[in-house]
Amino acid sequence: MYQILLALAAVGVMTSSIFAAYTQTSALQLRTEHQSLHWPRHGTRMSGRYSGGRRAWEPLPIRNGYQTFQGGGPGSGK
Amino acid sequence: MTAKVTQGTTTRFITYWPYVSILTVLMLVLSLVHAILLGMGKPLTSMTLQVVEGEPTALPVMPLKPEVMGALRIDAVAQIPENRWVTYEIQLRDAQGQLLATGIKQAWKEAGTWAEDGESGSWEEADLWAGLDVRPIQEETVTIGVEVLEYSNTAGQEINEPVPIRLTVRSGVVDHRYLLVGLGGTLILSIIAVMGVSASGTLALSKTIGDSDLIARSVVGGANSLVKMKVNIKSDETTPRSLDLHLSLKNSAGEVIYTHTYPVQLSFQREKGRVKGATGYVQDFFLLEPRTSYGFYVEVYPDQSVDSTSLYLRDGVSTLRPVSAVQIQAL
Repeated sequence: MYQILLALAAVGVMTSSIFAAYTQTSALQLRTEHQSLHWPRHGTRMSGRYSGGRRAWEPLPIRNGYQTFQGGGPGSGK
Repeated sequence: MTAKVTQGTTTRFITYWPYVSILTVLMLVLSLVHAILLGMGKPLTSMTLQVVEGEPTALPVMPLKPEVMGALRIDAVAQIPENRWVTYEIQLRDAQGQLLATGIKQAWKEAGTWAEDGESGSWEEADLWAGLDVRPIQEETVTIGVEVLEYSNTAGQEINEPVPIRLTVRSGVVDHRYLLVGLGGTLILSIIAVMGVSASGTLALSKTIGDSDLIARSVVGGANSLVKMKVNIKSDETTPRSLDLHLSLKNSAGEVIYTHTYPVQLSFQREKGRVKGATGYVQDFFLLEPRTSYGFYVEVYPDQSVDSTSLYLRDGVSTLRPVSAVQIQAL
């Protein structure tokens, strides 16, 4: 019985990952408020969001908050 | 003997479900190959822009329409010298010049030297790439650009130089990261499924003794129940190259109904080139009719080096492949 469940689970994982990869659910959906499936690449963060019904991009305040950015690497005191 | 013994190959107990899991792994491998070879999409443009802080710089306008597959992928890489930090933003603007989407990246490149315990060398680390995948929900005319928000050196001093940023845009790009995650998931499920087959059925007997002769009895078998016997043997440093295992099977009346001698292939544990000990096992399948109490008498020859003998019986097992089974029917 659990062999059937394992097989069904594997088919589910396969189907959903192929679907997600080819339809790019990780991409930013333009003019869409909910971006719960967004998966950033290269550590690139969204610096805004779509607000309300206007579907206009609203820049987030973090854009102005980079005076304290000290880079990365071994010199950053991690 | 009061039983009919035949030896044959049976396919009746094969379970095909683990092959479904293995098939999903193969499908994902094929998808991954496809995504890497063909899912990289169509290159639209690749250009290096000289970007001055505070001045958004853009590529020529391009049309964008909803597609079933893939996304528009924008990759950017800041080409800065060592010990500089740059915060830059990938920007999409619509036909009216309004911001449509922005993604921010804190890029840096640092290098230096190190000295420790009389050794020294140099290091260099960098994180310069940014990426943004977008999918439109309607036809758009978009302008893709970048803006440098902050550019400084490691001392925190602002640098007033243009930052060369190479922008690469491709359409119809597949996100292969999901396929890697899926591949890992289905691989784990397949391993569990395959391992589950060797642990299938119910454990009818599990007995270990610190000796070479073992006797155990259990109710197993029946017309539709494949019985798997596994004997594990541990042998000490005086072990011979090979051992023999002698099995006598007795029915509920105590009569011997089957005897067989199996060669035991040993794998040796060595320490500094000398044999420390060896382990070996024997496995066989039985179809026993009727379902009743059967006695398993196991003896290992020669017995001087045998440290322990374990007998495991599993009743109602399934198999991955056709297996050779000993069929014993009471007369």
